[in-house]
Amino acid sequence: MEAYRQEIIVGSVVIYMLFCVATGLWAMRRTHDSSDFFVAGRGLGPIVVALALFSSTLSGFGFVGGPGLVYSIGVSSFWMVVISSTGYAVGFFLVAKRIRMIAELRDCLSLPDVVAARYGSDAVRFLIALTIVLGVMGYLATQILAMAVVMQAILSGTETFANIGLVSCVVISSAVLIFYCVTGGIIASVYTDVVQGFIMMIAGSLILMTAVSVFDGGMQEATAIILADDSEAIMPFGSAGVMASLGWFFVFGLGLAGQPHLITKMMMNKKMSDNRSILPMSLFGYVMAALLWISIGIVMRAAVIDGVVEPLALPDDAASTFLSIFANPLLAGVVFAGLFAAIMSTSDAFLNIGTAAIIHDIPKALRGRSVDNELFWARVVTVLLAIVAAGFALYSHYADATLVALLGAFGWGTFAASIFPVVAVGLNWRGATVAGAVTAISAALLINFVVQLAGMVLPYGISGPLVAFVTSMILFIGVSLLTKKPELAPDIEKVLRI
Amino acid sequence: MTKHVIYWIFAVCLAMGLLLLMIGLADTVPNAGGQPHPEYPGMVIGADGAARLAHIGSLAFLFNSLLLTLVVGLCVLGVSERHRSRKFLAGMGGSWLLMLLIWWMMFSTHQEFLVMGETGYFMGFPIPTAWQMYGTWLGAIPLIVMYSYGFRTFIYTHEDEAEFDALLKHASRSSQQE
Repeated sequence: MEAYRQEIIVGSVVIYMLFCVATGLWAMRRTHDSSDFFVAGRGLGPIVVALALFSSTLSGFGFVGGPGLVYSIGVSSFWMVVISSTGYAVGFFLVAKRIRMIAELRDCLSLPDVVAARYGSDAVRFLIALTIVLGVMGYLATQILAMAVVMQAILSGTETFANIGLVSCVVISSAVLIFYCVTGGIIASVYTDVVQGFIMMIAGSLILMTAVSVFDGGMQEATAIILADDSEAIMPFGSAGVMASLGWFFVFGLGLAGQPHLITKMMMNKKMSDNRSILPMSLFGYVMAALLWISIGIVMRAAVIDGVVEPLALPDDAASTFLSIFANPLLAGVVFAGLFAAIMSTSDAFLNIGTAAIIHDIPKALRGRSVDNELFWARVVTVLLAIVAAGFALYSHYADATLVALLGAFGWGTFAASIFPVVAVGLNWRGATVAGAVTAISAALLINFVVQLAGMVLPYGISGPLVAFVTSMILFIGVSLLTKKPELAPDIEKVLRI
Repeated sequence: MTKHVIYWIFAVCLAMGLLLLMIGLADTVPNAGGQPHPEYPGMVIGADGAARLAHIGSLAFLFNSLLLTLVVGLCVLGVSERHRSRKFLAGMGGSWLLMLLIWWMMFSTHQEFLVMGETGYFMGFPIPTAWQMYGTWLGAIPLIVMYSYGFRTFIYTHEDEAEFDALLKHASRSSQQE
């Protein structure tokens, strides 16, 4: 079997991609209007929503960057993972019920729609939509680039595609992504998410079993090796220190309820009472998949220190090196399919919310109504958005990485800082005002942008997103308390009291 | 008291902002955010843990204690005022104490290690890291149990459902009349 390792990996990825194409064709027949395209007609069952929610949370970053971070900075990056239970809990307590109620009551298709209904303000709608578009470009570009780099690494190991270029890999991977997103919209997206979620859970648990068997003394031997080399790396705050760790705890924990691609999925379940089972199922799936992040990183750091493996050229090589040395070819095939699943499940969610922002929310904010024939334009803009993001990805790879890095600043941390107060707090506090929302979003964007542009390094590893998040929370509540209490629409007033 | 939970949340956020400022202005320690591993490129080491916490250890402890308080405060905010019963608040208080206890065990066992230089292991990890890894993950389980099992008691009761259905019907009638 070892002799066919590369063929098995390529075969697994091809089967996975054919499945995505087939799902797109199946979902196309169920997509009749823009409501189906953007929110699946609010008719999804609890298992579908739960798997879609967690698989969108864990992007390619979790499968490649996560193990690389543990290899590089030790336990510091665990904080991004172990906060998931708190993050999901806060997200469901604050957002799941009211976003679903407002979406049904006002027939909302997107997060900015819900925000506009809550605040009765197109200015807030516009700012949220703008934040989403900026964030989507950065996220999508990095995901497409990651997908292409991994594809090139897999294919170049075969005789037939030994010299395949990065551009060809961008085209192939983007074409599959675009096909199922355009044909089936969010329906294709969430049903592929279900399979993607299962693959990620299986990959995570199998990798944990493999990782534990690398050292005779299991995980304890691996952590003891790291402890003997540099104890701080395996202690609770890791190499990056206490404030970097707590910053991730804050931004990744509370920030989960500010991620538009995740909370939009909370609008899609058929029955409100399904939320009681969606929460534990999502968390269980996330924990299973995240085992890969932790176990590969720890074992690879210990293996390099112990001399079992040569030092890695780049920390991000941790996962691929682990798979090539320690994993059975079949397991490597499952994990590589899981990696594509992780990247695509996040990318399709971003394509969907980005398209909604461009054809639905920004026109509504600027001229009072969205474009005519929304379903047609949704498909056109999905294609264009993916092409522009792929262009950004290639430009950043070959010419100048600054642009994507800047857009990347509008990632998780910016979404957390700008969207969490306005949505998660605003949906539960009738005193929140338009002035508070506008101030909080603007401050969050400005702080993140300035820190990124100026390349500021704050003491003790304090991160820009942490400062932005705390500031936007203070400004949101403070400005709302100082400004006149708003008169809410009667139906929204009732929803906020239920 | 819980009617004004937003003021508590605001106070906690202000205190966290102040702590961030104090940490930012505290005496700095070289390489507090880690330094390159002398042998392996791409790896970062933390080196002297005691020195890194010397000026900000207690501030950082307080910062995360406030963060855990904020988490519970936000969960309380997410529940309708009329469902914030004594039972609910007791559950939230218990969750808060559990999370604080886990945080204290993690922090104090790490401090002990920095002094003694020795640690035991639990399920593959040094004790302080096991508190972080398993404790933090499991520390929020009471919140999840309260949401899932208490869904029809605290989150969305049958009365809430009836009220929302009536609201939907009213909205539907209004749109038909228009």
